[in-house]
Amino acid sequence: MIAGALFYYQFHSWRNRLLARIRRLRQPKYLAGAIVGGLYFYFYLFRGFARGSHPTPAQTPLALPPGMNDLPQTLAALVFMFMLLMAWILPHARAALAFSEAEIAFLFPAPISRKTLIHFKLLKSQMAILFSALLMTLIGRGWGGGHFLTRALGWWAAFAVLNLHLLGSSFALTMLMDRGISTWRRRALILGAVLAVAAGIFIWMRHSLPPFPAVLDQRGVAWFFQYVGRVFESGPLPYLLLPFRLVVAPYFAASYTQFLIALAPVLGIIWLHYLWVMHSNVAFEEASVELSRKLAERMTAARAGHFQSVRRPKKAARPPFVLRPAGHPAVAVFWKNLISAGQYVTARVWLMLVWVAVVSGVLLQSPWARGGGGGFGMVVIFFVGMLLIMSLFSGPQMLRNDLRQDLPAADVLKMFPMPGWQIVLGEVLAPAAMLAGVQWLLIVFGTIFFPDRLERHAIPLALRLSVALSAAVVLPFIDLVALLIPNASVLFFPAWFQLGKDGPRGFETMGQQLILMFGQLLVLLLGLLPAGGVFALLFFGGSFVHWPLLGLMLGACAAAMILAVEAGIGIKLLGGVFERFDVSGEVLT
Amino acid sequence: MACSRRRRCYRAGMDIAPPRITEAAAAPPQINVAGLTKLYGDFTAVNDLSFSVRPGEVIGLVGPNGAGKTTTLRCLAGIIPPTRGAIQICGFDLARQPIEAKRRLAFFSDEPRLFDYLTVSQHLTFTARIYGVAGYEETGRRLLEELEIADKADKLPMELSRGMKQKLAIACGLLHAPSVIFFDEPLTGLDPIGIRRMKDSILKRARDGAAILISSHLLHLLEEVCSHVLILKDGRKIIDGSLAEVRERFSEQAGGGNLEDAFFRATGETKGEE
Repeated sequence: MIAGALFYYQFHSWRNRLLARIRRLRQPKYLAGAIVGGLYFYFYLFRGFARGSHPTPAQTPLALPPGMNDLPQTLAALVFMFMLLMAWILPHARAALAFSEAEIAFLFPAPISRKTLIHFKLLKSQMAILFSALLMTLIGRGWGGGHFLTRALGWWAAFAVLNLHLLGSSFALTMLMDRGISTWRRRALILGAVLAVAAGIFIWMRHSLPPFPAVLDQRGVAWFFQYVGRVFESGPLPYLLLPFRLVVAPYFAASYTQFLIALAPVLGIIWLHYLWVMHSNVAFEEASVELSRKLAERMTAARAGHFQSVRRPKKAARPPFVLRPAGHPAVAVFWKNLISAGQYVTARVWLMLVWVAVVSGVLLQSPWARGGGGGFGMVVIFFVGMLLIMSLFSGPQMLRNDLRQDLPAADVLKMFPMPGWQIVLGEVLAPAAMLAGVQWLLIVFGTIFFPDRLERHAIPLALRLSVALSAAVVLPFIDLVALLIPNASVLFFPAWFQLGKDGPRGFETMGQQLILMFGQLLVLLLGLLPAGGVFALLFFGGSFVHWPLLGLMLGACAAAMILAVEAGIGIKLLGGVFERFDVSGEVLT
Repeated sequence: MACSRRRRCYRAGMDIAPPRITEAAAAPPQINVAGLTKLYGDFTAVNDLSFSVRPGEVIGLVGPNGAGKTTTLRCLAGIIPPTRGAIQICGFDLARQPIEAKRRLAFFSDEPRLFDYLTVSQHLTFTARIYGVAGYEETGRRLLEELEIADKADKLPMELSRGMKQKLAIACGLLHAPSVIFFDEPLTGLDPIGIRRMKDSILKRARDGAAILISSHLLHLLEEVCSHVLILKDGRKIIDGSLAEVRERFSEQAGGGNLEDAFFRATGETKGEE
């Protein structure tokens, strides 16, 4: 009877969720997302599979030396062993089964046995396991031999054992805690055992195999593989890896017959794990309640696009500056958002970073450090350049201490006696300032480390400083424009950003994100065009009259001014949108 | 009956006196609502609502679930735009002069909305700058002491209980001495001492001349603190007037029954036990 109720709950939850997702496709935003998401999945995952959908004979994608075809299976077994080992070392909390808050509220006080609850949890986790197995089979379709079905079932077997083992080990660790064995003592014991086994294997290798470096020197790569093969196939390691090899063996089966032979022991292992879990007499209810609460908080925050609150601040951050009661109210929003960024956004921290950059730069520019011909400097320049480019495109997506963070509190913002443009300005200033700070720091590094010669061409200090200053002038305004775009997206398409408490998931949401990402990139490029055109005109004009540096500086200043005007217009327009923004309309979406 | 209960409450509050209705009647309204309508698609949440609240008046907004109380308060606080109608706060049109209007109001929602990463004192600093409250340190300190959270000045919201969070929200809302105050279920989650202090605080603000609008399902509470009552049902106003008028109109008893009886009669609902 209870099982029937639980099945009813699970089946109808799944069915209603699916129907809701189908129904919402009537809204263009979800339909567009579904089409783009579907195309993405098709091109990324299914197309290759569809091409070769017929069962193919076993293939070994890596060209391994003859007789080494077992190596992938051995490596997979090693990875599996490592994961199980971590399950015994890492956890520090009591055993907890992850239920939703509603499940806790309905099932825990209900007349349901502990055994039934665990059964329910295990069966429920099968959905996730099956989906993961399917996904991994599609992603890793070129990783090993065998047929699609055997690979999918192979993944399922491995995930099922892993799931049961994680549960069983968490129960066992809880029992150890109850017997007074602390987390660190347990970790020390396990790590000690691991080290002892590793030492034993090492000693055996020293006595039974030729020294490792000599192998590479004398016989090359092929012999290296043979050496590794000998390590895994002789001595103690085959016995140690045997259970893990058994678990991953179905995935590597080349035929259905081999698969069935390989599956039998795995089913035995699954059964043993099941018995272990069911007979572990550990109270998990209290820890489960706490875990469910935390999970619910994280999911609510994450689905609301409020990723910062996924990890709530544990202690108060130092204010970046003293906020006086008189003055522009937008500064208050800027101040608040800088505090939300954490402990690292204070003048002291940034001055310290600049100091470190200057001192290390000066030291590394010294003659003894430049003995290698300035190679180190070029490496630094390369990384600085890469980081600067990344900061332009990824920075506005990563630093979200703006409307994307505050939209869930839009009703609070709407009560402030401030025009909309001031709120938008205050909101975007914090990430813009942080991004500009990072970029200026990179520019300082780049300027200090840039060599004064590139091959035979001298790079005078004036040129280096001019480029650095130009970049320092232009970049903050590019940041401002770049940050306005996602903030505009939040206001124009709030349902795509703020997904609500029971917000949408799935490939249509992924499609929406893709559309937004490409849309934002396109708008940014269009926004940069006028400034880029004027910069090019002045720079090449200056070069034409043999004043390239003047052209560079003038171009940078003009570009910065154009971007500032664009940002100003954008802030004003977005302010109007914010004033008209109807929070209630989004709640009902 | 209700009057004697109110007097007992005021005695317990020591320096608190009931709202002065007669004085308030002479002053111009601080809240003036004319034809307020709010539509959500085809659904009418608030329908052609008009009323006014004068300084010192405490008006209780009551109605069954879904009557449009919270929507009305959110429209009045400038959080959501009304579909039709005009709202004036202290003579300023909320649509045309939102800054001036918002500078004079405070809204307390049933769930305190705080910033996770700002401490108690940082919340006050932030609010002071937003509203331009000069010398807020002294006012803020006094408010924190009055609300008994002065020792939590360096704590983050996550370190506070729900009641303390509500007190912090109140401290922030009162920092700029608003002339118009909206409360949405102000007693949710408060302990008996908190409820008493909240009632005292509401009455004190009314005595100081604030126009107050309270939405609550706790009718006995509203009887204790309100001078007027406005009953909503399905977004429409059923009646508004002084407590005595409403009781008188919807009571079979001579001299009026209580607000609960009046509420059930006005909304056409039946009591569970009947």
